[in-house]
Amino acid sequence: MKRWWATVGALVGALVLQVMLAPHMEIGNATPSLLLLVVITLSFVEGPSAGAIAGFAAGLLLDLLSTGPIGAWALVLSVTGYTAGMLQENLFAEGWLAPVTVAIIAGFLADFSYLLVVTVLGVGPAFWTSLVQAVLPRAVYNAVLVMLAYPWLARFLRADRSIKSFKRLA
Amino acid sequence: MRIGQPEPKRGNPRLLVILVVLSLVMVTVYFREGDTGPLHTMRSATIEITAPIARFGTAITSPFRAAASWLEGLGASRERVAALEQQNEELRARLAELEEARQENDRLRELVDFAEGQELARLGANVIRRPVSIWEGVIVLDRGSDDGVQPGMPVIAAQGLVGQVAEVSPNACTVRLITDQQSGVAALVQSTRATGVVRGSVSGELTLDFIDRAMVPVEGDVILTSGLGGVYPAGIVVGDVTAVSDKRGDLYPDVTIESRVQVDRIEEVLVLVGFTTDVSAGEIE
Repeated sequence: MKRWWATVGALVGALVLQVMLAPHMEIGNATPSLLLLVVITLSFVEGPSAGAIAGFAAGLLLDLLSTGPIGAWALVLSVTGYTAGMLQENLFAEGWLAPVTVAIIAGFLADFSYLLVVTVLGVGPAFWTSLVQAVLPRAVYNAVLVMLAYPWLARFLRADRSIKSFKRLA
Repeated sequence: MRIGQPEPKRGNPRLLVILVVLSLVMVTVYFREGDTGPLHTMRSATIEITAPIARFGTAITSPFRAAASWLEGLGASRERVAALEQQNEELRARLAELEEARQENDRLRELVDFAEGQELARLGANVIRRPVSIWEGVIVLDRGSDDGVQPGMPVIAAQGLVGQVAEVSPNACTVRLITDQQSGVAALVQSTRATGVVRGSVSGELTLDFIDRAMVPVEGDVILTSGLGGVYPAGIVVGDVTAVSDKRGDLYPDVTIESRVQVDRIEEVLVLVGFTTDVSAGEIE
């Protein structure tokens, strides 16, 4: 039950920070997705199914905050959360390399999938321009943030475990 | 699993399929329901609920943004630079207005059935949230339907056109910026009167499309709203031409525009509450 509350707390906290701080953290043209950070971290520590559920909830919150079609981010982050969890399970990497690799892949997958979804729905921007100017910079930005936030977030989400260092955590 | 003791975690494909189907159902409902449907209502409620959080965020980050702005102009007298920048913006806006007024005056003299322009009521509003995602150029204002704001109303700043009200809750509203990829503004080049459409992009860059090749604008030309289509009133400054590329094989020249409104710094805007159109009229098909 405590873990469930920690998950809800992390998602609500990320939502508040997404509204309050993320718009002011713009670098170049990229604004970070703090909700995505929580989804990726949850997928790491709880596995694919929890990642998918957290992704759906976080995506729905992002959908409600934006003006795009409601359901698009929910779809994308569900798949991203599940995939991140599966990658973590099956990736042959040790130490810090595992979360960093998954963060980069999942970050890219999330924005690239959203671009695909809105393009298919007919409300998307120019595909190749968006890929270069939006997807790639944001994937890098989110991956860097995951690296910074992951150890702390993971400790918060799995307080029942003894996690002493980033390396051990990974 | 690499945290603490090993613990096997299996994925549940059925769960993923259920979530994907649920998402697709929501997308379908969103497109099929009207503006008063449950999903649109939920979004309106979210804007209302998050408005105080966004307002608080804007307030607490204000000193940091001011410090960043100060650092940007380090090396010169901050007060003097700020005063000159403000004066420059006012003079540029005034120059464009005067030029527009002069040309308008010339045209109106030739018209017999001259009619006076419509006076539009303006409502001041504060920007309480900036774009939360790279995928859309949307800001949130602290005015809503209780203040008379309706979807479709144009929003302007002292430097020029900002955008159009997209969604409204009782005490807040979202504004789709002209730099958003879904935005389209019927515009004209002030010097040549050539008409076109200003479009936004995911990078926030503005381009002027469908300009007649016989009337290609030059760098520095002022772009104004044309009033065609009735989405925005005529004569509002959209921006300045910063680059023009007119290649022989192109159907239309590539015209890049820079908006005078700095979205990352804008704090107050005016909503033209006397001017209402369909909100979808300002979107690119």
